[in-house]
Amino acid sequence: MGPYDSSISAAAGGSTSSSSSACSSSTKPPDQMDHLLAGAGYKVRSNDLNQVAKRLEHLETVMVKSSPVDFSELVNDAVHYNPTDLASWVDSLLTELNTNVSGQPGPGTADLSDLRDFPAGPYGNGNVTQTGEFSQQAVTPLEEDVSIRLVHVLMTCAEAVQRGDISLASLLIDDLQALLGRVNSGCGIGKVGSFFVDALSRRVVNSPQNGAVQVDLSAYENEILYHHYYEACPYLKFAHFTANQAILEAFDGQDCVHVIDFNLMQGLQWPALIQALALRPGGPPLLRLTGIGPPSLDGRDSLREIGLKLAELARSVNVRFAFRGVAASRLDDVKPWMLQVSPKEAVAVNSIMQLHKLLGPNSSRGPPIDLVLDWIRDLNPRILMVVEQESNHNQPEFLDRFTESLYYYSTMFDSLDACTAQPEKTLAELYIQREICNVVCCEGSARVERHEPLVRWRERLSRAEFAPLHLGSNAFKQARMLLTLFSAEGYSVEENEGCLTLGWHSRPLIAASAWQAIPKPSAATPGL
Amino acid sequence: MAGSNEINANEAKKVVPLHTWILISNFKLAYNMLRRPDGTFNRELAEFLDRKVSANAVPVDGVFSFDVVNRSTGLLNRIYRTAPPENDSGEGNVAGVLELEKPLSCSEIVPVILFFHGGSFSHSSANSAIYDSFCRRLTGLIQGVVVSVDYRRSPEHRYPCAYEDGWEALKWVHSRTWLSSGKERKVHVYLAGDSSGGNIAHHVAHRAATSNVEVLGNILLHPLFGGEQRMESEMKLDGKYFVKLQDRDWYWRAFLPEGEDRDHPACNIFGPRGSSLTGLSFPKSLVVVAGLDLVQDWQLGYVEGLRKSGQDVTLLFLEKATIGFYFLPNNEHFYTLMDKIKNFVRS
Repeated sequence: MGPYDSSISAAAGGSTSSSSSACSSSTKPPDQMDHLLAGAGYKVRSNDLNQVAKRLEHLETVMVKSSPVDFSELVNDAVHYNPTDLASWVDSLLTELNTNVSGQPGPGTADLSDLRDFPAGPYGNGNVTQTGEFSQQAVTPLEEDVSIRLVHVLMTCAEAVQRGDISLASLLIDDLQALLGRVNSGCGIGKVGSFFVDALSRRVVNSPQNGAVQVDLSAYENEILYHHYYEACPYLKFAHFTANQAILEAFDGQDCVHVIDFNLMQGLQWPALIQALALRPGGPPLLRLTGIGPPSLDGRDSLREIGLKLAELARSVNVRFAFRGVAASRLDDVKPWMLQVSPKEAVAVNSIMQLHKLLGPNSSRGPPIDLVLDWIRDLNPRILMVVEQESNHNQPEFLDRFTESLYYYSTMFDSLDACTAQPEKTLAELYIQREICNVVCCEGSARVERHEPLVRWRERLSRAEFAPLHLGSNAFKQARMLLTLFSAEGYSVEENEGCLTLGWHSRPLIAASAWQAIPKPSAATPGL
Repeated sequence: MAGSNEINANEAKKVVPLHTWILISNFKLAYNMLRRPDGTFNRELAEFLDRKVSANAVPVDGVFSFDVVNRSTGLLNRIYRTAPPENDSGEGNVAGVLELEKPLSCSEIVPVILFFHGGSFSHSSANSAIYDSFCRRLTGLIQGVVVSVDYRRSPEHRYPCAYEDGWEALKWVHSRTWLSSGKERKVHVYLAGDSSGGNIAHHVAHRAATSNVEVLGNILLHPLFGGEQRMESEMKLDGKYFVKLQDRDWYWRAFLPEGEDRDHPACNIFGPRGSSLTGLSFPKSLVVVAGLDLVQDWQLGYVEGLRKSGQDVTLLFLEKATIGFYFLPNNEHFYTLMDKIKNFVRS
């Protein structure tokens, strides 16, 4: 806390301060963000400060002068984007107010909130108590002490594992088992702690180099866990819902659309999109869906089965629909020609918790992420929708990964505590346990759960020449509505520079972002 | 009137630095869109626009933070602490967890400030960027702990919800052994808040005084008080420095029980319906008044009321300061304030 920046004068000389900061800002590089406003959550270029101030002043004048009707229209109908970019936020409001004068209605895009028959699973039928109060069993001070001790020993054990001190790690695991006996293993740190102790002991017993630490489930078992995870907590629903909103907007005015789903699973995302397209003003487009999934080893063609069900639904709402399944055990085994994208179609690429799997080595080759992003870009999609876990579980040091995942999954388990439906809750926990196990026990190409936070994905996608498509206040509002319908209190949707996150209380756990390819300069020489 | 608004913008610009003007004006215009004439609040848009930051267990400028949910209220507490000296293994990340096993210090007294953010009872949260930044600075300043708490906001939750949440927070803080310090192994708590947070701090301190719960001091940063009568400062400064009197009225209507007026004891502490503080072991108070805040006459009246009740109160009157002067460390008022708080908590 030292003397303040000499380029900013004392308060009494307010008008001089604006000119002095103008002087100092001329020596700054053009893209430099003002650090003071950054601390308040806003990104404004230092060189733009005066301009932003003027626009704010102008906005106030226009607001004051606007008629009550225009002002209330602004308030009710304007869609806001990326409030961190203060300059563009102010400008967008000025644009709204200037075009609102004639009282024009907004663009008539179909809206997911128009849906009457929103799919309501068992969760929506009131299995979960939604109380104003947090109906948790009180934690005694003694229990709290043991919980803190448990976390401490977990860290110490992980550190021993990182150092390769297996004998110490084994001793500590015994300690941990004992501690687990003293906490309430039904909730909180007791529950998630037991999964981490389990994962550590697996890693210690079978060193990751031996491989096969994690038992492979059949595709069918995987689907069961996935389905219950989908029902027990809102993370996947939020991902699907937000993605569909964005895809719907990207497809506005398009007659031929093609969605490529990087992990079809049970196709739970698509009925809502099909229905929304059916209700679109002007009628539905021709919809093609290409679903990627692992090859079925048990003789079923599950991709085809899902495709048939979705086709059935599409037919019942008069949407022309075509499905294609692409079987691949790894996403980087998919080649673009398999997707059969036609240049006339509007393409949406949908990746829900898949891209992070491309960050690991693929046998002897390096991480395939850049190659895949490159061919996605070659498809020229109108939108690339990316939803990922909001955490860094891909750090090179084991202890860092362990620590971060402990906090992340603790929070996720806390949120699951609010779910009382069974067997949804237990199976959802098992689903999450498999992720934990992969992060903690596996290495090399077996470790596929290489989650990275939004900040890193932004860098990666920019480098791969994608530009952000901001998710706005309308998507935000509807995501919040979804939460009140389906979930307990405590979940929170937040806006993060054009992206939306869903978390538990103040900790974001899932981040959704939308992107479009920056067009490559044309390589073809015309007229030859 | 349109004309007078243009003049007012220029007046405010003369007394605050550019950055502060941009920040507070941005809030002013955004908040204008959130308050509906019918008394309801556009909560969705408010949450969308509010810039939030996550807690960070990795120290930044010597301060790290972590969140704990109070299990009895479901509300968030964000804890800010100064980073312990790095040990050999450099376990920066696990610092927060390890430190929860012991008191803050067994020999020294470490102050814990329980902070209630402002927002006229309706806006902001503990994880709002402006409050996260402020609490970090406060933590570094006092070299202690700051606990910033969420409370239920109006109009969805009216009086007395915020006070009850504040009281729960105080009890919570007192019962954390890892916040205790000194030879007596107790938590050395101060209450602090700006705007509505200051109002909450007062009421929580009052309840603490009548319930024998110890609070070592109150720090009120242009606290929100009011009454039915129109004071001279309200009329003179109406609309001149970011705030209109009608906005203040809206927030009181949203907070007070329906049908109540501003002489309600939540609002008008020493008014016709207030209760006496004489003889209570009320904590010593530091009350900061901004000279360009239209609420100042009520705040000065509060100071006077405390004095008349025989309570220990210090007034810091910053003549040329506007509301929110402490959000950015770019003016002399900010540093005067910080100095005053540091001494208040040390003595």
